[in-house]
Amino acid sequence: MKENNLQKFLAIYSGDDDVRIREVSCGIELTVVCLDTMCDDKKVSSYVLQPLVYAEGATDISAVKTTLMAGAVVSKTVNLQSAIEDFVNGYTLVWDSKGNCLSVDTRTTIGRAVAEPPTSMVLRGPREGFVEDLKVNITLLRKRLKTTSFKAININVGKYTNTAVSICYIDGIADQTIVEKITQQLQAIDTDAILDSSYLARYLDTNKTILFRRVGITEKPDIAVAKMIEGRVAIVVDGSPMVLTLPYLFVEDMQSPGDYYENSSITVFGRILRFVSVLASVLLPSLYVCLQVYNYQIIPLKFLITIMNASEAIPFSPLAEMLLVLIIFDILREANLRMPSAVGISLSLVGAIVLGDAAVKAGLLGAPAVMIGALSGIGLFTLPDNTLVMSLMRLIVTFLGGVMGLLGVTLATIVTLLYLASLQNNKTPFLAPFAPNIPNDRQDAIGQKPVPDMDKRPESIPNENKTRRG
Amino acid sequence: MEKNKVGINQLALMYLLAIAGGKFLNLPSILAKDVGHDSWLTLLFGFVFDAVCLTFLLWAIKLNQKKQLDLSTILDKTVSKVVSKIIMVLFFVIFIIRTNILLASCYKLFAVTFDVSTNWIVYALPIAAIGFLAVQLGFNSIARTSQLLFGIIFLAVLVLILSPVTQVEFTSLLPIGEAGFGKIVGTFFKRSFWFSDYLFIYFVFDSIKVKNNRVFLPILSAFAVGAVMTIAMNAIFVSLYGSLSQDIELALSKIGVYFVSNSSNGRWDWITLSVWLISVFLKIMVFIYCAYKCLEKLFEFKSAKLNVYAVIFITLTLMLPMFVSTDMLLSTVVAWGMIPFCIVQYLLPISMPFLTKLANSKLEKSV
Repeated sequence: MKENNLQKFLAIYSGDDDVRIREVSCGIELTVVCLDTMCDDKKVSSYVLQPLVYAEGATDISAVKTTLMAGAVVSKTVNLQSAIEDFVNGYTLVWDSKGNCLSVDTRTTIGRAVAEPPTSMVLRGPREGFVEDLKVNITLLRKRLKTTSFKAININVGKYTNTAVSICYIDGIADQTIVEKITQQLQAIDTDAILDSSYLARYLDTNKTILFRRVGITEKPDIAVAKMIEGRVAIVVDGSPMVLTLPYLFVEDMQSPGDYYENSSITVFGRILRFVSVLASVLLPSLYVCLQVYNYQIIPLKFLITIMNASEAIPFSPLAEMLLVLIIFDILREANLRMPSAVGISLSLVGAIVLGDAAVKAGLLGAPAVMIGALSGIGLFTLPDNTLVMSLMRLIVTFLGGVMGLLGVTLATIVTLLYLASLQNNKTPFLAPFAPNIPNDRQDAIGQKPVPDMDKRPESIPNENKTRRG
Repeated sequence: MEKNKVGINQLALMYLLAIAGGKFLNLPSILAKDVGHDSWLTLLFGFVFDAVCLTFLLWAIKLNQKKQLDLSTILDKTVSKVVSKIIMVLFFVIFIIRTNILLASCYKLFAVTFDVSTNWIVYALPIAAIGFLAVQLGFNSIARTSQLLFGIIFLAVLVLILSPVTQVEFTSLLPIGEAGFGKIVGTFFKRSFWFSDYLFIYFVFDSIKVKNNRVFLPILSAFAVGAVMTIAMNAIFVSLYGSLSQDIELALSKIGVYFVSNSSNGRWDWITLSVWLISVFLKIMVFIYCAYKCLEKLFEFKSAKLNVYAVIFITLTLMLPMFVSTDMLLSTVVAWGMIPFCIVQYLLPISMPFLTKLANSKLEKSV
């Protein structure tokens, strides 16, 4: 039966030129198999082949494991499936003639070096960022969490990719029911491929949210650890530099990685700025349109005259003009993201000078509309993770403001808040600590207490240890 | 159900918004028509009456904490299923008429103040749709939204009410009680339909989360603040406009004129007025939720999804102002139904603690 495992294995990989097979004898006949592209030649040679070739008198595979294998991770595989899982991940398999198998960690360490993540730059604080290698990422977490309470549950997801996923948490802080629920959710995923952690984020969002992100994403190990210490679970995916954190609150979007390394009064000022600029970004274009179309009396007289003079000769309605400006801005942003950085500068110039200035001079767009569009666009970047969502929202709100006036803007605001208020994942209300109001959690929401004064863990994140002291 | 659970503090904030959301447009002019500058006394009397009923209702909530029975179960167990259904019909009518009045007031506000006239269907349908979205998402979502927006709405109302204070001649409210005590009290009973904003609490009776047995303080505090705000607004309005106040239907929007010192500054008060309007829309959502729950109890349909027939029926009733003016609705339906409505508004809350106790004990016996 077990002999069949080796035969089955060889049958499965017959015709694959990437597979390296070597027969050795060290008292018993062994077959060493590895994947050329996934294994480090030096490791295969020094951890597996050298000890085997020079050895004599081994009696069985257990003796080979305990006395000959020099690899740090050597395990006896329980079945063919687990042998294949190890094999495709870069382990070298050592088979005996009876079909018993050892797997030795000989994975290659090809990948980029740890560097500062481009999406989370900070003025102060650690500059290390996650990379695509799961092992390195777990190392980055462990480096900061030198405790026996750090736990990692490893599973594989994806029928073809068999992607390694690690569920990391701090035992004694994270809520065990949430850890179990997340583990079950991930184990239940039935899909061909998991190419990035964002694939998993969609499966973990039980509400199937259409607009807003429901799973936290970070590229910085210090942030991931800070969240784990608050009771969250971190999910590290092989091949992705983005680590997922759960449960997730909307207010986390307002927080920047550098917030905890600055004076708390500066942090609060920064967060208020972000909040105000996002509100202004979404509402300003719609208010501009509906005030110009319906309720121009609200605008102070001198300001109104300036606007009227600027938009008098514009061939479009205020709504069409504003939508045009916003869409042009979105196109420029999309193009800028996908252009090589050298061309990006030229594109910015073309956008600013040709489209902006020339369109105003040609009388196609009004200067106030361009200014408001630009202001709104820049404001969106204070929330880099949600720029696209907010951009879509501002288009919708602007359209409603143009069609229904202040009523449309008011109703759109209510619908958005109603929807956000209804969201709840892993026992955590999305809009906590504001709705519902959780006074303790306001210590680090928009406002921030100095770090030494934050003695309680957030109540909105379920956890098993409420206090940070002792 | 978890999605309909509401905390006692959330309920208090919602109640305060409900008071502020319904009495600032038409009611001041209606009361001024009846009792002139003594309208604030009618309000005061009304609120005292409301306070008594509310205290009984809160007592019932406290008694209900253990078993968490809903209104229809309590009524079924105590006053029979038939009476229970009749009460649900009365509640449904009250909520639908109140929703229509609020919708019509806002419609007028948009047409007259904001100068935006539109077709009733185009105006009412989106609001009704949001109401049904709220029903689908659960009462908890409305409560959380109210909690989130409470600060800004409260600030907007305060700014609107207090901005003309320096120009108000409060002496114009003298002599106090000129209209006569009988007329002041009589006007309250005649206009009682406008009071008892606590009615929606019946429909979350089984879903209120109370911490440390604190039921009375949060709700009664919110009620007191709402009452003071409403009376102050009424007094300021009547003092500002004197005998003209009975002809000015949109009180808060007219008070807002004093918010801006001169026309070249622009009508910034409209922005605050729009913020206050959110409380009206939230109140409409609460009423649509309650109306839907009435139908749910009447026809005993229970499903995670919205019942299409109930949605269509409520939507059709919200189209009433296209055919009948809200003044007519008020004068006919409310005049005909004043006594039954008073039973639901005032007799039911006073008897709720006893009914709750009775239902609890009956349930215990049956177990």
